[in-house]
Amino acid sequence: MFRMLFTFLLLTTTTIYSQQVMTPKEITDLKKNVKIVAQKTTTINSDFDQFKHMEFLSDAIKTSGKMKFKAPKLVKWSYTKPFQYSVVFKEGNLLINNEGKKSDVNIGSNQLFQQLNQLIVKSISGDMFDETEFTMNFIKTTENYIVTFNSKDAELKKYIKQFILYFDKENYTVMEVKMVEPSDDYTHIIFKNRIENQTIKDEVFKN
Amino acid sequence: MRFLKINILVIFLLSSCSLAITKDFTEANVELSNYKNPYFSNVFKDYVYKANIEVYGYEFSGILIIKKLATQHHRIVFATEFGTKMLDMELNKEDYTIHFIASELNKKILVNTLKKDFRILLQEDILVNKTFKNEYFNVYQSNNKNRLNFYFVKKEHNCLEKLVNTSKIKEKVIFNFKSNECKMAEKILIEHKNLKLKIELKAF
Repeated sequence: MFRMLFTFLLLTTTTIYSQQVMTPKEITDLKKNVKIVAQKTTTINSDFDQFKHMEFLSDAIKTSGKMKFKAPKLVKWSYTKPFQYSVVFKEGNLLINNEGKKSDVNIGSNQLFQQLNQLIVKSISGDMFDETEFTMNFIKTTENYIVTFNSKDAELKKYIKQFILYFDKENYTVMEVKMVEPSDDYTHIIFKNRIENQTIKDEVFKN
Repeated sequence: MRFLKINILVIFLLSSCSLAITKDFTEANVELSNYKNPYFSNVFKDYVYKANIEVYGYEFSGILIIKKLATQHHRIVFATEFGTKMLDMELNKEDYTIHFIASELNKKILVNTLKKDFRILLQEDILVNKTFKNEYFNVYQSNNKNRLNFYFVKKEHNCLEKLVNTSKIKEKVIFNFKSNECKMAEKILIEHKNLKLKIELKAF
């Protein structure tokens, strides 16, 4: 019993110490540095793993792929495992290639998709500290600055109540994104092999 | 006299149509009174599929997750490839709970259709009322309220290959299965005959 209590105390103490609330100065510096890095970023080419966590599942559902971003707002998500599916967000349209089958979806009228698109672009570029759209919490660990964005928009909140972005402490880029649903089920995207400012041709975004 | 003629015609049409699905089969004694659909029966398994859906000319895709929670009790989630949940439903033998539904999908006819389809797909213990046979298949007929379900089980591996939901006179929904070891369906195709709805599922 004593050993259990000790372990519990040790774990909670470790958690408390490993996650600290950021000071106002640290928050200002983070926002400033993220913006500087975002402004310098013309392209991003990155692999990603996506994990869908749901309370009732035995294991998270893993999918993987590549993400390409070209400033100011071209984005292509390509899922390559376990299926081939890619989406380009382009001028109010979703260009979908579903295992070779191509289709265009006009998202101009769909507010939710527009907002999700904007958030994806902003989260990649790191420029999403918008107090009119979100309330924000800032914490830090030894490796990351972690910013929780709580949606203010009632419609968006029905689907995703929080976006949690993990910034690298050294270069201020987004390393991980968590999208938390009202039920607390969440999607966790982990970026890896990130290459910045390498030429990406516009043809890539034709899909 | 005219009434009698119409009646005879109706009876002829009904009987000829009702035989269509089993016309290449002969009725046999019911040797198996309970058939067990194996495809969603493992409570420890997450059944995850890439789903392509065609409904009245619209096409969309996503991920379908089915989890058995207990006997005749399943959780069904449809999410986009990005992971955004569009439908989260819990289905019991008699009732159901919608935990979440996107406003685009929240149409009574769609929800009722999906509910009926999943009830048929996920029903595990099936009471057999009639058995039909041919060289390759055993076909188990089961009464389903005012409809019938026909389970086409291939004799060679005892593998469920097709499930057809019918009214008294015609086919309504056809479920085709492809399974490597007859325990889990790697591919499922659900086709409606009276609605323009097709659901294609590929396991991953």
